[in-house]
Amino acid sequence: MDANKSAPQLNVLVIDAGGSFVEECRKALEGEKCEIVVAGSCKEGLLSAETDQPGVVILDLETNDISEFKMLGNLGEIAPDSVPIVVSRNATVNVAVDSMKLGAFDFLVRPVNPKKLLESVRQALNYSAMQREGQSSEQRADKHDLLLEGLDVFGEAYSIGLEKREFLDELGRLESAAQSHAESLGQVKTKEEAIAEIHNDLLDADAIMWKYDFQKNALIQILLDVQEQFRWLPRHILNWISGRLNIPLSDIYVIANFYEAFSLEPRGRHSIQVCTGTACHVRGASELLMKISATLGIEAGQTDSSQEFTLETVNCIGCCALAPVVQIDSQYYRNPSKEQFEKIIKSLKDEEALV
Amino acid sequence: MTRLETHDDLKKFRDGVVAQRNSKATWLAVCAGTGCRAYGADKLAEALEEEVKKRGLENKIGVRWTGCHGFCEKGPLVVIQPSDICYQGVQIKDIPAILDKICTGKGDVEKLCYLDEGSGKRLEKLDEIPFYKFQKRIVLEHNVLIDASEISDYIAVGGYSALSKVLSGMKPEAVLNEVKKANLRGRGGGGFPAGRKWETTRNAPGEPKYVIVNADEGDPGAYMDRSILEGNPHAVLEGLIIGAYAIGASEGFIYVRQEYPLARNHAQKAIDQAREYGLLGEDILGSRFSFDVTIHRGAGAFVSGESSALMSAIEGHVGEPRPKYIRTSEKGLWNKPSCLNNVETWANVPHIITKGVEWFCGMGTKGSPGTKIFSLVGKVKNTGLVEVPMGMTLRDIVYKIGGGIPGGKKFKAVQTGGPSGGVIPESLMDLPVDFDELSNVGSMMGSGGLIVMDEHTCMVDTARYYTRFLANESCGKCVPCREGMRQMLNILNRIASGEGREEDLPLIEELAEFMEAASLCALGQSAPFPVASTLKYFREEYEEHIREKRCRAGVCQDLIAYEIDHAKCKACGLCQKACPTDAIDKSEDKVFTVVQEKCIKCGACFSACPDKFSAVIKVPAFTIKK
Ligand SMILES: Cc1cc2nc3c(=O)[nH]c(=O)nc-3n(C[C@H](O)[C@H](O)[C@H](O)COP(=O)(O)O)c2cc1C
Repeated sequence: MDANKSAPQLNVLVIDAGGSFVEECRKALEGEKCEIVVAGSCKEGLLSAETDQPGVVILDLETNDISEFKMLGNLGEIAPDSVPIVVSRNATVNVAVDSMKLGAFDFLVRPVNPKKLLESVRQALNYSAMQREGQSSEQRADKHDLLLEGLDVFGEAYSIGLEKREFLDELGRLESAAQSHAESLGQVKTKEEAIAEIHNDLLDADAIMWKYDFQKNALIQILLDVQEQFRWLPRHILNWISGRLNIPLSDIYVIANFYEAFSLEPRGRHSIQVCTGTACHVRGASELLMKISATLGIEAGQTDSSQEFTLETVNCIGCCALAPVVQIDSQYYRNPSKEQFEKIIKSLKDEEALV
Repeated sequence: MTRLETHDDLKKFRDGVVAQRNSKATWLAVCAGTGCRAYGADKLAEALEEEVKKRGLENKIGVRWTGCHGFCEKGPLVVIQPSDICYQGVQIKDIPAILDKICTGKGDVEKLCYLDEGSGKRLEKLDEIPFYKFQKRIVLEHNVLIDASEISDYIAVGGYSALSKVLSGMKPEAVLNEVKKANLRGRGGGGFPAGRKWETTRNAPGEPKYVIVNADEGDPGAYMDRSILEGNPHAVLEGLIIGAYAIGASEGFIYVRQEYPLARNHAQKAIDQAREYGLLGEDILGSRFSFDVTIHRGAGAFVSGESSALMSAIEGHVGEPRPKYIRTSEKGLWNKPSCLNNVETWANVPHIITKGVEWFCGMGTKGSPGTKIFSLVGKVKNTGLVEVPMGMTLRDIVYKIGGGIPGGKKFKAVQTGGPSGGVIPESLMDLPVDFDELSNVGSMMGSGGLIVMDEHTCMVDTARYYTRFLANESCGKCVPCREGMRQMLNILNRIASGEGREEDLPLIEELAEFMEAASLCALGQSAPFPVASTLKYFREEYEEHIREKRCRAGVCQDLIAYEIDHAKCKACGLCQKACPTDAIDKSEDKVFTVVQEKCIKCGACFSACPDKFSAVIKVPAFTIKK
């Protein structure tokens, strides 16, 4: 398709609050048969879009603040056939994903690659023209794909292992996961906050998988790292890993259930592990466990309601000379009395209060 | 650092670091193994370094963070070298005295020396202290001498000379032959001859071949593999490289359980440094032999220590065993020939190469040459890691080295071989310990845990402990193990809670026989051993539980109760403070009483009551009025 032929009469509106982007834009679109209209603020841009109904609106995200995103949302109402392209200097995955979800056709990182911008603008103009002609829903579905193509800007971050169409489904799932994740942690969060958090989680999970070259056989090592970093294996991360490594989720759950190191429930911020190795057992580990469990008011395997402590037993931590021994975070204690134990717990609580 | 390209480079480098080490007159070797760190050894070492600096003694005195010295009971440990004077239970406040003593000969350090109870004398030197005197430390020898995170330390004490010897003229077949002749038997459990396993892998068709270190150490109560990897990882690595050369493997793995973070770090550091120095990777020491190693963390499953399960775990799957019609040495990792040996097995290899077969076979027994490291733990005075020649009697290990039972209590049994082993009663204490003798009496060598039990250890409870452990760890793949363990545990729970029946004992024996014959892997096949051996040697304890509802050791909670002897109670209130459930009341006549309804039988009051009063007592539960 030739963008120049099919959409010669449409304008390109550039919203450039910072004033530095217009030049980049002009250079990239040099020789194109389209007029460039410049707006210096979001408000100005909206006004112009309403009267002008341009083919393409290029929005330079200067501040990443709400007004810019709002403008993106409003645009869809006042100029439904103007196709938005978002560029940004401080691109994060969150910003990109939010933009795409608000209907951005493409997302480019500044300084933009002129060729890419040109291509993107041509496609967008073309698309805008098609829309004006009242296109069938089949082609609308096309928009979906094109939208998602924009995500490639982030390196392959979101495209390895996941079919693009699945990506939007995934986002939908993530939203509900975010909600329940926040609720399970007993935290009150707005949906946006929860989603942002989940996106960050996924980035972290990606960083872990990078370390192992996205190798399938490194799954256990990857899960160990996730467990270490998050203190449990949240469902949204397992979903994510499943997609990335192309391993069925059920297989991942088999592994997560089999090995003792993994927890499928959130653990407390501090771990209390009573060693039940043989040496500890003959020197009174079960009594120690009972004492600690009665003091904390939770059983082995449980986490207290404030997510502070998780009490567990562990097969042997190899400190047999100190038997019976309890490991609290990375410290080992030899058979603490009730009073000593209470003191340790209190100092951990105090520390936390300070932070 | 530049690569060591040739054998000569290695030699020159060694001379250099030896000279450097010798430039300091005294070294303070601080045990920084996990055990001593738990006592605060890392803070101690830092404080020592600081004080040495403050006094301007850096050129004379060096501080070295070493691996486990073995005498964990007395940590933190500091050994002065080269005089081999050993200080125990060292605290930061003792530092000035130690430095004074070194510099001026005066300094009050006597209380830091080992007190020999028999003679009442303080013993200074390592080889005077009975705990060390009767040992033969070969694999553990260097733990005191080197900082595990410095490859130069290992090279200084002769490290990598075995590798150099092998690569500078020995044919792989010759190396294999040495190991075969030495009859080095696997230290991880079964005692299978390592040379024969190497040969199988070498001759098996398929490329590439793999060599693997088993550092899963799932046996509760054993920590020698941990201490070797923490204290001397290069020895394991050197053994592995030599093995790879003999077998023709190009890739290796170290499978470490993730509960051992320090061991993993040290092993990783060792690999990185060896690579940097050209002792690992392409063209090692200019020999054209190439080999590299990766660490794989185990995620915590006892059964994953079994060879086929371990390999499945490295492949990224669930660590379950498979039937071994074909051995893993022929078809293991990714169906290629794979040789798996235990940490200690690999660590023995460099010694055999440098010191020779004759030297190696000069130690130990005919069927089991060499030494074995045991973790001597439980109810024994000198808890720690001990390395002894095979064939030493259990009595010598427990009494001469271990110092006997603390608190004047009576010895009852030693448990060896972990969950696959059994108990050995007093009557068999003169048994020479080697692979075959232990199997003959219904136990096994296992990885080397020696758990000492006294009169306050209940044999039913011990059997139940291992059964519960194995029931949890059974992977569930085969029915005899999965269901058998569960039923066994049911029966034992019944007996321990006083509900046992007369016909339970024959039932246990029948079940045990069946599981041994029908289980898929060695976990299930050996799972009944702890039960069978306790029943064999301590049947009367089982019968007491069943017939009299009595636990003579005072362990089985349903059969005991705590009471306070009012005649002895001095109303000090310590028991009340210690009780987590407020189950201790002050009665009108100013002594304390246990409120049985609230008591969870945790024994906190029992331990809290001062020995001189001993007012809290255990009584059989049936004597308590409901
Ligand atoms: C259930 C089970 C657990 C095992 N765990 C270990 C272990 O933790 N460490 C180990 O070295 N061997 C373990 N083994 C023995 C290994 O299967 C294997 O025989 C051994 O690592 C071979 O090395 P070696 O010949 O040097 O002893 C285990 C075996 C079974 C059946």
